[in-house]
Amino acid sequence: MLGGDLAHVTDFQGIKLVRIRTEAIITDDQVEALGRALDSVAEVPAQRAVLSFLGVGHLTSQALGKLIQAHKALAETGGELRLADIDPRIYEVFSITRLDKVFKIYDREQDALASFSPGRGAEG
Amino acid sequence: MPGRSPETDSRAPWIEKVLPTNLGVIRASEREILALLAGLGYNDDHRFAVRLAFEEALVNAMKHGNRMDPRRSVRLAYRASEECVEIRVTDEGPGFRPNGVPDPTRDENLQRPCGRGIMLMRSYMDKVAYSPSGNEVLMVKYRDR
Repeated sequence: MLGGDLAHVTDFQGIKLVRIRTEAIITDDQVEALGRALDSVAEVPAQRAVLSFLGVGHLTSQALGKLIQAHKALAETGGELRLADIDPRIYEVFSITRLDKVFKIYDREQDALASFSPGRGAEG
Repeated sequence: MPGRSPETDSRAPWIEKVLPTNLGVIRASEREILALLAGLGYNDDHRFAVRLAFEEALVNAMKHGNRMDPRRSVRLAYRASEECVEIRVTDEGPGFRPNGVPDPTRDENLQRPCGRGIMLMRSYMDKVAYSPSGNEVLMVKYRDR
């Protein structure tokens, strides 16, 4: 497990699955913990990763910044970060900021995992 | 200056606080405001909006205004009625030009990790007005809009 108390990182057939374990990502500590979890994922070249927001009801622009940094770091080595399980209110934040154009966003983490392996489903 | 409010007709009393420049103190005030709004019938969407804008304004004041200088403070004033909630945040920094912040939704800025706070405040609140110097912001959210 990586990422400390805020984020749980597991491996799913070579894809890193990051699950957030807090209702809100707003404090500096929470934002930095998210950043550390994503940094650990981005250390592997060409890593494919899914970040699940299940249970997250609030975040700030600082958290969005961490997502973008991770997205760029992964993309530089041919990897990619995809998002899933985003609460409708949080999705609106992505939409307003047009970050829904930067990230591929899926309804469920299974869908996001499966999207990396077309033709092969992912089990929860 | 919390005593006046040319922006709304609210007669609710202002609640004023002086906060240290410490991001850890934001949540206590945030909880107080959200509890106040819940008691006044503001729905979940309104409280989500106010929470987001409140966080962004306070973080901006401490990080970008006061540069996290512990010798500087942030003045917070807020009041809420069944009509609207008003939040005023004043930092002790040099100020800035809000209109000088690049539009984060332009294609060339989408990958920038920062610069979305003010835009989110403006998107989620009904009014966001900066003082001429830029170190004070007043935000208003109406309950029935």
